[in-house]
Amino acid sequence: MSTQFEITNCIRKLRFFADMTQQQLAEKAGVSRQTIVAIEGGKYNPSLELGFRIAHAFNVSIDEVFQCSVNEDK
Amino acid sequence: MTYQITRTLIKIFAGAIILIVYLLQVIGRYQKGIFTLDSLQPLAQLMFIFIGVSIGILIAVEILFHILFSIGVAVKGSIKNGVYTEVEKDIEKTIKQEMVQDEMGKMIDLKSMKIGYIAVGFCSIASLAVLAIGYPVFLTVNIIFCSIFIAEITEGFARMFYYKRGI
Repeated sequence: MSTQFEITNCIRKLRFFADMTQQQLAEKAGVSRQTIVAIEGGKYNPSLELGFRIAHAFNVSIDEVFQCSVNEDK
Repeated sequence: MTYQITRTLIKIFAGAIILIVYLLQVIGRYQKGIFTLDSLQPLAQLMFIFIGVSIGILIAVEILFHILFSIGVAVKGSIKNGVYTEVEKDIEKTIKQEMVQDEMGKMIDLKSMKIGYIAVGFCSIASLAVLAIGYPVFLTVNIIFCSIFIAEITEGFARMFYYKRGI
């Protein structure tokens, strides 16, 4: 039996509500715009620290930005 | 195109050019009879020259690219909407932001470097296989030398792949 964790995020939605561009978020989180693009597109799972920094940029808790669904294969 | 991808492309291009020039030099000198299969001394001398030249070229290309990229960002910032909109500090900030090496960049660097090492490993095995088959040491030495540039090119392509597809 193996457990798979699928991490999703709602950065795009949060950016939309905060009226923030990818560049602005990248500046606030201290990363490149490319990294934000990759995270938004689900191509890269950020470290815990970066996750917290992104959440801080939106002034929300980390679980409001990132969600995890658990799939257990038997 | 982002700073990292452009930089990688230029590195691949520079590496490929150096490799092609080196191979042309070796083939040309071999045909002229300067290089013989028995004596490796002239080949070693050429290799030393190429190591120095390639380090110099790669550093020069890197500096030139950095300058041109900064100029590009500055020009883009200055002529936004046809008027001067960004002051010097803002331009500097934009350049820094573009060139930032974050955790994803570092991870991509590590992964692509690993692929570069694998390429070197394959080339080393190939050079030994060539020797085992019965080809001269001349060829083995050349494969080992070329593996440096092959690794650089492979690493570049791997980096571009990871930047495009994500990790």
